Amino acid sequence: MGRGSILGEFEQLVLLAVARLGGDGYGVTIRKEIASRARRDVTIGAVYATLSRLEEKGYASSWEGEAEPRRGGRARRHYRVEPEGVRALHAARGMVDRMWDGVDFGSGPA
Amino acid sequence: MSAPRPPLIATRIFAWTADPERRDAQLGDLLEEFAERAERDPAAARRWVRRQALASVAPNIALRLGRTYRAYTTEREDGTMRTLLGDLRLALRGFRRDGAFHGVIVLTLGLGIGAIATIFSVVHGLVLDPFPFPEPDRIVGVGTAYPRLGSELGFFENLSPAEYLDIRDNASTLEDVVAWDMGNRQLDTEGPPQNVFSAFWWGDVLTTLQMDAHLGRGFSPDEIRSGANVVMLAHDVWVARFGADSTMIGEAVSVNGNPYTLVGIFPEGVDIYGTDLWMTMPVGPEQYARNRRQFQVMGRVASASSVASVNTELEGIAARVEQAWSAEYEEYEGWSMQAMTWSDVSSQVFRTGVFVLLGAVTFVLLLVCANTANLLLARAQGRRREMAVRTALGAGRGRLVRQLLTESVALGALGGALGVGLAYLGVEGIGRFVSTIGINVAGTVQVNGSVLLFTAAVAVGAGVLFGLAPALQASAADIAGTLQSEGRGATATGSRQKLQRTLVGVEVMLAFVLLAGGGLLLNSFIRVNRVEAGFEPERVLTMRLTLPREKYQGAAGPAFFRELTDRVERIPGVVNAAAGSQFPPVGFSFRQIFFDGAEADAEATLPTTLTTVVTRGYFEALGIPLLRGRTFDERDEAGTPLAAVINDEAARRYFGTADPVGRRLKLGDADADTPWWEIAGVVGSTKNLGLDRDPFPEIFALHDQVGGDQNQLFLVVRTDGDPQAFVPAVRDAVLEMDADQPVYAIRTVEESYRQGIAPMRATTLFLGIFAGFALVLAAVGIFSVVSFTVSERTQEIGLRVALGADQSRVRRLVVRQALLPVVIGAGVGLAAAIGVSGGLERLLFDVTGTDPLTLGSVAVLLVAVATLASWVPAFRASRMDPVEALRAE
Repeated sequence: MGRGSILGEFEQLVLLAVARLGGDGYGVTIRKEIASRARRDVTIGAVYATLSRLEEKGYASSWEGEAEPRRGGRARRHYRVEPEGVRALHAARGMVDRMWDGVDFGSGPA
Repeated sequence: MSAPRPPLIATRIFAWTADPERRDAQLGDLLEEFAERAERDPAAARRWVRRQALASVAPNIALRLGRTYRAYTTEREDGTMRTLLGDLRLALRGFRRDGAFHGVIVLTLGLGIGAIATIFSVVHGLVLDPFPFPEPDRIVGVGTAYPRLGSELGFFENLSPAEYLDIRDNASTLEDVVAWDMGNRQLDTEGPPQNVFSAFWWGDVLTTLQMDAHLGRGFSPDEIRSGANVVMLAHDVWVARFGADSTMIGEAVSVNGNPYTLVGIFPEGVDIYGTDLWMTMPVGPEQYARNRRQFQVMGRVASASSVASVNTELEGIAARVEQAWSAEYEEYEGWSMQAMTWSDVSSQVFRTGVFVLLGAVTFVLLLVCANTANLLLARAQGRRREMAVRTALGAGRGRLVRQLLTESVALGALGGALGVGLAYLGVEGIGRFVSTIGINVAGTVQVNGSVLLFTAAVAVGAGVLFGLAPALQASAADIAGTLQSEGRGATATGSRQKLQRTLVGVEVMLAFVLLAGGGLLLNSFIRVNRVEAGFEPERVLTMRLTLPREKYQGAAGPAFFRELTDRVERIPGVVNAAAGSQFPPVGFSFRQIFFDGAEADAEATLPTTLTTVVTRGYFEALGIPLLRGRTFDERDEAGTPLAAVINDEAARRYFGTADPVGRRLKLGDADADTPWWEIAGVVGSTKNLGLDRDPFPEIFALHDQVGGDQNQLFLVVRTDGDPQAFVPAVRDAVLEMDADQPVYAIRTVEESYRQGIAPMRATTLFLGIFAGFALVLAAVGIFSVVSFTVSERTQEIGLRVALGADQSRVRRLVVRQALLPVVIGAGVGLAAAIGVSGGLERLLFDVTGTDPLTLGSVAVLLVAVATLASWVPAFRASRMDPVEALRAE
């Protein structure tokens, strides 16, 4: 876990979306993945700011793809999860799981 | 056809704020998704780009700030950051030295920025981002317009069940189309019964919105089909009335005394016309007459479609309905249906007002900037030596400009901080103000992240805007001249004065536009208040009662109200009491009426009138005068011939000069199978649709004769004192008759009155404050510029006086020179005010946007204030002792 910090909720969303897209996702598909699965409409700026932070922490990496006319001749930037990122995701999930353990709302407030 | 283009400014902002390292990738994504969306709906795609651009500013800037901060904390050798901090320290030291001067600047900036932040919060909350739907651009309301009924496009209580089916079953571009009716239900909780706003649905709106319930679920297709006894609660009702008890889901709640299963809690923050309680419609849409128009329709644009294609399809459906039904229902001639995004539908009411105010606060802020620039320019005079010395010591011009700009941006930031504080107060004040007229904006209108970011950008932008000119001016010092002449270098003075005079002209121009807008609204407001209402609204208390249909059937309803009004009339201090289904100035219930023997083709539209069900004494209680015939009396009761009373407007429109008393009318058109009513009398017309609208034809029928169908009436109580003081006694009278019967919407007729003109009052008030502020700022600007000009010309004036010029001539000279930019500014301002008056016109009443009296008064006022502001320093100059003046050098 980089710098001893736990992944934030939004960082988890973005990193999981990158993971779900199997190392081939880029901005548009990452946003759509979050919109369709998490039902959250996130802005391009927010996604990239988070991706940059994730890269700075070494949780994800990126490379430049092909330039396309419908993108105004700009290249896609593809992202994949790095092993550090996988570890961080597991750590975040483990923390939540440990907190849930033994919690039961089934029978109402005790 | 060329490919649609993304909005230029939004794209620029997006590119400009984006992280430079990922700018191409982000911009590429934006363009790619825009192209994809534009294929479906170009307009929606453009809106999407604008929203993306605005919302992306914050994270991108936060990222960059974070980096800069880290860069600074880790590499202290970095030169730029050090100078910036040094400049900042220098600036703050300067502010402390000149506390009062900078205090005034920060205060005016704070007021200007606070005003714009407050109004931006309102715009953001109500117009830009009002709904937390996942895809707000795809959620549309459908409205209808019936030119034959004289009705414009309306979305609220405007569609019939049959029209809903026409849309639901035929529009392939819309998915999950739902319709609902609004009403009131009694929710039984601990304590007294509570009335809640209820909506009755065909279809599950959560499916349409693509949202999940906060807890539990929405209505299932089976429950909708069978009209099952299931309900959902609004989140805030669930919290306030049931303490957010999550174990309630699946349990029974009591509505109108009957058990209903609570299946879910509606998502937080999703407000649909203030609905508290969601219920299913008990019967299917097929059961209703085609012209029972009391429903709202909402749907989601199919994924491959756009709002435009929905409208094309609706056009076709409307045409087919017209062909099939216009023989039977004449109102289908030329009718139309139109879809609009739900945010547009629900913000229509406020839109004009808030955008006018947003324009006004922008002008105020520009005025503050011009004023600050002016003050700084004057100030720069005193700092010439400082600048010259620093230049002489080797500081480059760029370095000086940067230092001065740092100062002005720091001033902007301080003003911004004050402005944010004021915005919190302003938003709270607005919330409190609109809650008095029954609108709840808590949670919608707030100082949130976007507002803070906007404010920060405005503050920094303002700092650059007002700081740039003075900085360039001050840094262009002529070192030798300045140092020799003890700080009063003449070289740059001419261009500085020109700049100052231009700024005064700009200030006057902006102030003119603001004063003109404020003046026009004030003028309208005074006229609205002078309107003859046609009745006596003073000292009348009203409250609404809805009798449960299960409990009061047939004649029981009219009997209840007869008995109740008798009891209320026995309360000491009550003059008369009656009940009616509506009262002026808030008529809402229209019916189509056929007048027997009406003048043929009295108008092109089918006669629609306000129809009001009343009890005896209604006209007396409201002070509506009888003009002809009689009002309802003992002769009229259940079983006797049906009697109607019409207002003067209906008499004039349908019978011209003929006497309508004794003529007949009926509900529906000529062929309608409805009973005839005989016109018994004519009463005076009231402003029954609002104070700013002309009286509308209205007919009145007696509750006893209409029967128990009408279960919801307003009690109207005329008192001889403060009507609010009678609330407990009247409420007791109700509870004595039925301990379970709630009363609600308790208010005085005067309050309803004020509520009708509240948006206008609010806009007038705000614009008036802004205009007053503008006038003060313009006066301060003129005063300071003239003072400085005079002080610079001390020697010259002294010389003139020494050579024999008399005092009045000197004064005239100074004032004339000062007024030149004022007159030019006022002229440009007049043109600008006329130019923007179009945007204001919808808010005006009985005044045009170019009202010569208002605009003339503004011009006179501004010139008068300017003359006064320049006369004081001119007077001082003329009284100067020439010897002293000449020695001044």
